[in-house]
Amino acid sequence: MNIYDVIIVGAGPGGSMAAKTAADLGLKTIFFERGRKPGEKNSSGSGLGPRIWKDFPSLMKELTPEKCPSMRAGSAARNYFVNQEGIVAGYVMARPTESVSYEPAKSWITMNCYRSEFDPWIAEFAIDAGAELKTSTLITNLLKKDGKVCGVIDEHNNKYQAPIVIGADGVVSMVAKQSGLRTKWAQDQITVVPQYDFQASPEKIDDIMGDETLAVWWSAIFPASYQVFFHDGFHQGLGNWLNKWDKNPLYYLNRVINLKYYQRLLRILNAKPRELQSHLLPWLKYPYNTHTDGIILVGDAGGFPCPLEAEGIYSAMVTGKFAAEVAAEAITSEDFSKNFLSKYDEAWKNTSIGEDFETGEELYNIWKALPFSPQETMSWFVPMFMEAMGGIYDWSQPHAKRVRQIASQIKSYMPQALPFIMKYVIPLLAKIFEEDIDKMMDPQKLMSALPKLMDLIPKKKKPRREDK
Amino acid sequence: MKLNGLTKHIPGTVDFIFIDQSKCNRCGQCILVCVVNLWRKTNNIISFSEDYKEKCLECGACYQVCEADAIDFHYPSGGTGVIFEKG
Ligand SMILES: Cc1cc2nc3c(=O)[nH]c(=O)nc-3n(C[C@H](O)[C@H](O)[C@H](O)COP(=O)(O)OP(=O)(O)OC[C@H]3O[C@@H](n4cnc5c(N)ncnc54)[C@H](O)[C@@H]3O)c2cc1C
Ligand code: SF4
Ligand code: SF4
Repeated sequence: MNIYDVIIVGAGPGGSMAAKTAADLGLKTIFFERGRKPGEKNSSGSGLGPRIWKDFPSLMKELTPEKCPSMRAGSAARNYFVNQEGIVAGYVMARPTESVSYEPAKSWITMNCYRSEFDPWIAEFAIDAGAELKTSTLITNLLKKDGKVCGVIDEHNNKYQAPIVIGADGVVSMVAKQSGLRTKWAQDQITVVPQYDFQASPEKIDDIMGDETLAVWWSAIFPASYQVFFHDGFHQGLGNWLNKWDKNPLYYLNRVINLKYYQRLLRILNAKPRELQSHLLPWLKYPYNTHTDGIILVGDAGGFPCPLEAEGIYSAMVTGKFAAEVAAEAITSEDFSKNFLSKYDEAWKNTSIGEDFETGEELYNIWKALPFSPQETMSWFVPMFMEAMGGIYDWSQPHAKRVRQIASQIKSYMPQALPFIMKYVIPLLAKIFEEDIDKMMDPQKLMSALPKLMDLIPKKKKPRREDK
Repeated sequence: MKLNGLTKHIPGTVDFIFIDQSKCNRCGQCILVCVVNLWRKTNNIISFSEDYKEKCLECGACYQVCEADAIDFHYPSGGTGVIFEKG
């Protein structure tokens, strides 16, 4: 009989961190992966944030190009703004600013690395710590005795016993389903994200992108699309919640690829499409139902990707670690009840992830309403933003007159922009600055003040010589 | 963009997508979200491609989006199915 202290389903970043932590704590640990090796089933933007280095320094210093050749760190990000006509109306490139204090984050913003390399790399630490990895093994059910979870069963009916099971099996989680924690996500908790991988030579990428590593394409004609550069290629992907598609997701992704500007980028990078991938990604305001008797869910299975931009590798690693620590405590106390395992919620709430979820609802709402609402929001946001950024580049008018024209144009977006600010920006600011919304600024006052402020911009100015 | 050659599979033999026609309300959402177009509606019946084991990306979007619970999906047998070499 296969008897363990802890069983982990899934060998993504969440499962491997859980397995490593459990094995480090001396638990007899097994983790399962349905792929022939970890990572071959996973598709992701694969951007690793500096928070991972902050929380797991000794682990991350081992991530080197010898181990993961696709690694590419970059110290700048680009934002393209694409208008209704499909023209890149402008872009902004940004580097870490003066206020960035943590060293790795000062020199680079994300480290990108294909999951086919990263996942096996991280699983190796768990194996080295003594955890047993079983690949090409699909876990199909939970093993129960007298209604209590006591292990898992694979598709060939092999049984594995343990008093506690960690569900690190990602977004379509068998563990969540069989334990009754969740049958399916609600449509507004789940996004589908197709992406292309393009191959390009490292020299071309360096020449053309320099140390830029990431680009976000903001647009009125597709939901925001990200571009992430690796050593010899890049991803272009986009996603949206399942209830927000009116056309096939690939139709919108192809809109990005077919932009004239994008086609030119492909030509100069001499980039060739290499792979098409698609994956679901949970995107919640707040994780819930994260554990029950004998079960803890981590990473995507528990709905932990960040509520703003769904960064999920870091949260999978953190929750994987805490789940294993709580499992070890449960084993010591011989208590696997839901009540005991609620220590897990206490643990993650007390981390950087917990802090992100404190403003989860506001972050989620603003992101959903802005880049993921191309028609409703980006259709006025892009021209408004570009008016402010680029309006001044018009030498056909006297400068002062030009400024007035720009101001009046920006004013014309206010009927859309003001309600947006009231509905999404103010609540977020109020939450972030921990101020009562009334104290910070009364929305009513603001509503009446702002248009008045805009009215100060004269429609007609005093006649001057050149206007006559 | 042509999708030929952009996906790689080790086709398995065990079925992993099922549709229950008695539950399907023909809303078409599965057709809408599948990026490799494996779903179709013919004569008002929803079905998926017979060669799905060689094409499905295992995203689970069809299963997730079906509010009528007409689609059953689980991952294919261990070691089979789609391979992402550059995920
Ligand atoms: C397109 C896309 C872009 C993204 N971009 C980023 C990004 O740039 N940065 C970032 O931090 N996050 C990103 N994310 C989110 C991130 O990929 C996930 O949050 C992260 O992978 C979650 O890790 P996990 O270990 O919880 O689950 P997963 O990585 O999904 O791992 C689960 C593992 O379990 C295995 N498995 C599942 N079911 C079973 C079973 N029944 N039996 C055996 N094995 C099973 C799977 O094969 C898989 O290997 C992105 C996600 C997507 C879809
Ligand atoms: S989503 Fe479900 S109910 Fe709708 S057409 Fe597809 S199978 Fe039928
Ligand atoms: S799992 Fe994804 S790729 Fe496969 S049929 Fe369903 S929607 Fe299409």
